[in-house]
Amino acid sequence: MRAAVVAALLPWLSACSAPSYLGEFTEGVTALFDLGDVMRPAGREAEQIAQLAWVLFIGAAILWLLVMALFVYITKQNPRPLSRRWAEALIIGGGGIFPVIVLGILLVWTLPLMPAQRMPGDGLTIRVTGKQWWWKVEYLDANGDEANTVVSANEIRLPKGRRTEIVLAADRVIHSFWIPALAGKTDMIPGQTTRMALEPTKTGTFRGVCAEFCGESHALMAFDAVVLEEPAFKAWLAAEREPADAPRTAAERRGAEVFLTQGCGACHAVRGTPAQAQIGPDLTHFGSRLTLGAGSFDNRSAERQSWVAHAAAMKPGARMPAYASLSDEDLAALDRYLEGLK
Amino acid sequence: MNSPQQDEERRTFREEASSLWLITLGPALWAVHFTVVYAATAVVCAKLGTAYLPYLRLGIAALTLIAVGAIAVIAWRSWRQWNYMTNQEYSHGQPTGEHRHEFLGHAAFLLAVLAAIATLYTALPAVFIAGCG
Ligand code: HEC
Ligand SMILES: [Cu+2]
Repeated sequence: MRAAVVAALLPWLSACSAPSYLGEFTEGVTALFDLGDVMRPAGREAEQIAQLAWVLFIGAAILWLLVMALFVYITKQNPRPLSRRWAEALIIGGGGIFPVIVLGILLVWTLPLMPAQRMPGDGLTIRVTGKQWWWKVEYLDANGDEANTVVSANEIRLPKGRRTEIVLAADRVIHSFWIPALAGKTDMIPGQTTRMALEPTKTGTFRGVCAEFCGESHALMAFDAVVLEEPAFKAWLAAEREPADAPRTAAERRGAEVFLTQGCGACHAVRGTPAQAQIGPDLTHFGSRLTLGAGSFDNRSAERQSWVAHAAAMKPGARMPAYASLSDEDLAALDRYLEGLK
Repeated sequence: MNSPQQDEERRTFREEASSLWLITLGPALWAVHFTVVYAATAVVCAKLGTAYLPYLRLGIAALTLIAVGAIAVIAWRSWRQWNYMTNQEYSHGQPTGEHRHEFLGHAAFLLAVLAAIATLYTALPAVFIAGCG
């Protein structure tokens, strides 16, 4: 019996000693149970959290197996009363001393991780404001000049390998900013600023969500976090800073006109045009966003037109009026214009 | 006039009154330590700032030493009262003075051990966390 257990465990134990096998194991489990971004980290904080989760998960599994094995042994293999000494050792040792030591080790191991999770950024600062139900995103000037702020929305871009400071605010209700692949979540609270830092270790596009119920379209309040190599990021930010491209085709020119005459500029800004309002998302470079309606729909022609015609039907409660009376030609022209805002 | 028997009961009761103190003192010390550590940290971080943290940590260390020391004394006294070494007795189910006495010692001892562990765990963050943020 004992030999059989050892024989069964041996390959597993030797597998554990090789980190690559461990990596394969964790990847396999992540894929099998579809554990998602949290267990597939692409940022410094998220790596720590995932590592912690694996150690706790595997440790708990081993302990559970040991306890079950002991249980089977005592009730089935060898069911006789224990001597008093063994019983005391089992209860005081297994029930008291062992858990105290294990919990002590875990505490001493995890407590120093907490400051690391809150470390400040080393360069760029991005201010994100939670609105119902979208995200205002502002890339702050390195010298603190507010006039140089680059305003964007519903998507955040980050340079890989840098620690970007994220300053969080909220408009009317509490939201929570969470990119599971990059870091833990941080609440956004009206009247307060909270902060965190993001240090991506891989390039790619990762999903971010609002993680605090904030009203009827809470579930449709998401965004994409796009991690770029630093040079690509710098080029992107320089382009994002520019005003909108002028309309190039007749359809786009028509769309620009409709945009202004319909009063879209009462809520939206398209820099370089008379539309300068900040009530809704900045649309200056909307055409280059990956999604529509705060990470909720594909940014494609059909979705864009349907959005303009009746936004609140796609996204309950959305604070944008329906333009159902626009002619198909006007809708199509608006769509061309919006798509051209690269 | 009290009968000798009533006097006897009163004396036993008085003795057990002091072991009731023994039982509450361990957890009470943990509670006081916990409150002072958390309140002091909040006040220092809110009013004085990170620069004063080394003093706070020293203070917490001293307070923890005192608390754990006091709890150790309580543990030792209740261990003696339990009297485990002489009779190896775990259950104290009989309605006799001796059983009551040992039961209260036993309970006070376990609570003191718990209070000591809890006090140390309370102090650990102060050792490992370097900033107010
Ligand atoms: C009363 C203010 C208001 C007006 C007027 C308005 N919008 Fe909006 N718009 C919003 C708000 C608020 C949102 C964000 C809704 C959400 O995602 O919850 C939005 C979102 C959008 C989006 C999606 C942006 C993104 O990043 O996903 C587009 C595109 C858009 N509006 C286009 C238009 C057009 C075109 C017009 C004019 C025909 C218009 N809007 C008029 C308030 C307005
Ligand atoms: Cu929200």
